[in-house]
Amino acid sequence: MTATSSRARLVVFGAIVGVALIVAVAAVVLGGGKDPVAAGGARAVPVSRALVDAPHIVFRDTARGDAYGRVGIVPLSNPKARPAITGLTCDRVYVAGGRGLCLRAGRGVITTYRGIIFDARTFREERSFSLPGNPSRARVSADGKLVAYTVFVTGDGYNQIGFSTRTFIRDAATGRELAQLERFTTRRDGRVIHAANFNFWGVTFARDDNTFYATLGSGDKTYLVQGDIARREIKVLREGVECPSLSPDGTRIAFKQREGGGVGPVHWRPAVLDLSTLRARTLAETRNVDDQIEWYDDDHVSYGLPEGPSSPVTDVWKVPAAGGGRPERVISGAWSPAVVRGPATATYQPT
Amino acid sequence: MRNVPAEVMAAPGGEVLAAPAVRSGRRRIAVSRTVILLGLVSLFTDLSQEMVTAVLPLYLTYQVRLSPLQFGFIDGMYQGATALVRLLGGLLADRKERHKEVAATGYGASALCKLGLVAVGGAWLGTTAVLLVDRLGKGIRTAPRDALISLDSERAGLGRSFGVHRALDTVGAMLGPLAAFVLLAQLPGQYNTVFLISFSIALIGLGILILFVENRRNREPIDAEPAAPKEHVTLRSALGLFRITRFRMITLVGSGLGLLTISDAFVYLVIQRQTHLDVKWFPLLFLGTALAYLGFAVPIGRIADRVGRGRVFLAGHLALLGVYLVLRFVDLGAGAVLCTLLLFGLYYASTDGVLMALASPTIPERLRTSGFALITTGTATTRFMSSVAFGAIWVAWGPQAAMLIFLIGLAVMVPAAAIALRRHPEAAAA
Repeated sequence: MTATSSRARLVVFGAIVGVALIVAVAAVVLGGGKDPVAAGGARAVPVSRALVDAPHIVFRDTARGDAYGRVGIVPLSNPKARPAITGLTCDRVYVAGGRGLCLRAGRGVITTYRGIIFDARTFREERSFSLPGNPSRARVSADGKLVAYTVFVTGDGYNQIGFSTRTFIRDAATGRELAQLERFTTRRDGRVIHAANFNFWGVTFARDDNTFYATLGSGDKTYLVQGDIARREIKVLREGVECPSLSPDGTRIAFKQREGGGVGPVHWRPAVLDLSTLRARTLAETRNVDDQIEWYDDDHVSYGLPEGPSSPVTDVWKVPAAGGGRPERVISGAWSPAVVRGPATATYQPT
Repeated sequence: MRNVPAEVMAAPGGEVLAAPAVRSGRRRIAVSRTVILLGLVSLFTDLSQEMVTAVLPLYLTYQVRLSPLQFGFIDGMYQGATALVRLLGGLLADRKERHKEVAATGYGASALCKLGLVAVGGAWLGTTAVLLVDRLGKGIRTAPRDALISLDSERAGLGRSFGVHRALDTVGAMLGPLAAFVLLAQLPGQYNTVFLISFSIALIGLGILILFVENRRNREPIDAEPAAPKEHVTLRSALGLFRITRFRMITLVGSGLGLLTISDAFVYLVIQRQTHLDVKWFPLLFLGTALAYLGFAVPIGRIADRVGRGRVFLAGHLALLGVYLVLRFVDLGAGAVLCTLLLFGLYYASTDGVLMALASPTIPERLRTSGFALITTGTATTRFMSSVAFGAIWVAWGPQAAMLIFLIGLAVMVPAAAIALRRHPEAAAA
């Protein structure tokens, strides 16, 4: 290497480092610019007493703007109205019976996760607890007595990229952990079954505050299971049901039905199962739904969908629960809808 | 080798000159400029790579929406393809005597893949295709890079050269996840920013390789290789390496031990299960092992040069056996976990680069890359098989049984390997 060529090399290397720096700075600046939290303006109206006393929808705001990730509220009578934005930031949120459950990730070098139980009228925190992984599903029982949540636990699978889930049930009033589904006895056709790769997720509560439905995943298969908190037992009802959601009248279960698979990406379509016959019917929505479905009313179900491919902005849609009809956009820039039909007072108080 | 006095090997740490110094009539071996440069190339590339690897599970699950099982399946198919290009790359590098250019192709492909991830925008088919190219790039570059290291090192200092390279490599691997999570904490969900910054870091590594690293040619004395030096390197001549007893034994021993090596993911998983460690601390286990590896890499490489690389390679597997014993029989407390990570880092330091240093003198220079490619294909394949087997046993009979089976297997395999290497003492002390 001669002196000149050596100098030339250093110059070229300097240029490469320069280009690398420009790319890195541009990436941060553009990435920051595209950050939904940084872009857009305020669109919120304040949370009023009248709003939470009337039937309303609580959701996670995902519109571009400084309210991204906050909990928003719109009246059920006019869901297209400008949302009221609360001070609560969550990755998943759900409210029922006057109580809310908010799952939140504190991102950092070591990311920490917390679950927060809040008053669904004031949106003030009542108690909180640490979560063992990334939030996935949150539900509150109809009377606000129980909360259930699912988290992804990284590194728990046996291939490097493996994900597995853990699902917990807590007493909302005291915060006490009542159950971890993985520790329940699981039966199929009366026989006890167990495997290391069992995963449970997506609890939905029945009115009695003891029965619940959830998903059991094992290998590539998913099952609808029915659980009994007092007896700490779970029984398998049917194959091919993910993320169940019990209808307000308790007769049907809306769920995500897996389609395709193989080497392609997972595609889920919303479907409704009749609990008396265990027969399912797919709904008119054909896009990929990866949200725990919420009953909008006795005749419609609602769910979140990304605005475009891999967009952080999502919309809440609804579709008839009996099949047929067409999907209809209900709220723009929203995720994780929870429909509150009665007044938002806690109907259950600990004795 | 065994009779070389200690002070000969113990060159001062700051000594990084290319030319071997001469002192009191004895040659003092220094780490060559090429080795340091290649170490820096690996540092930047690993930094870039690990940034992406750290966020990939999140990205694939939340943005691409691929299930873990599907990714596992695709990943398995890629393994086969990687083995093939590894060998092809090795042959090409040897045949054209262009190790640097072949390595640069691999590094370049992986760098471009970071841009590719941005370009395909989370479409699943595009993303998996980009990841395939990325794996292929890694498959291509490893053997020619290690060949450059070995060809540019004094035979007596091979262990230390590989130790220095792996230490620098590990620094990058440790900083990568840290950088990625700091970025994602500042810009949540902005995976493209992570990918672009990863690309710019890879570019610097590639620049160092292309601009400053040079191929070495025909340095080997004629008498070491009686065959006609101009003979074309073909698949046949590469496979002909297996006729060299020492090379055959080393490949066999390395691959055989690979069958009983539990992947780090499983080791951390067992620790986490036993200690009920909060999952958020999971990255610390990786960090602890990497720190131990980083600390041990150079001293162990030097010791290997002095007492014999075969011995150190086997001793490294005894450290692994220690890991298994602790995990299987000790009630894990903080001390035991720390001890496990130290032993695990020691295992990496005594085996990864040392195996290459051990094999180097058994492979003629003109076939060095192909030889490395054959060995790494063997060990990578058996380690993959071991992961599948360990996972299957875990699911069927539980982690305790799986640990015990691998423990017994390794306890039998290490003495067997020692006997195999002892029969060919040049290999043990090479």
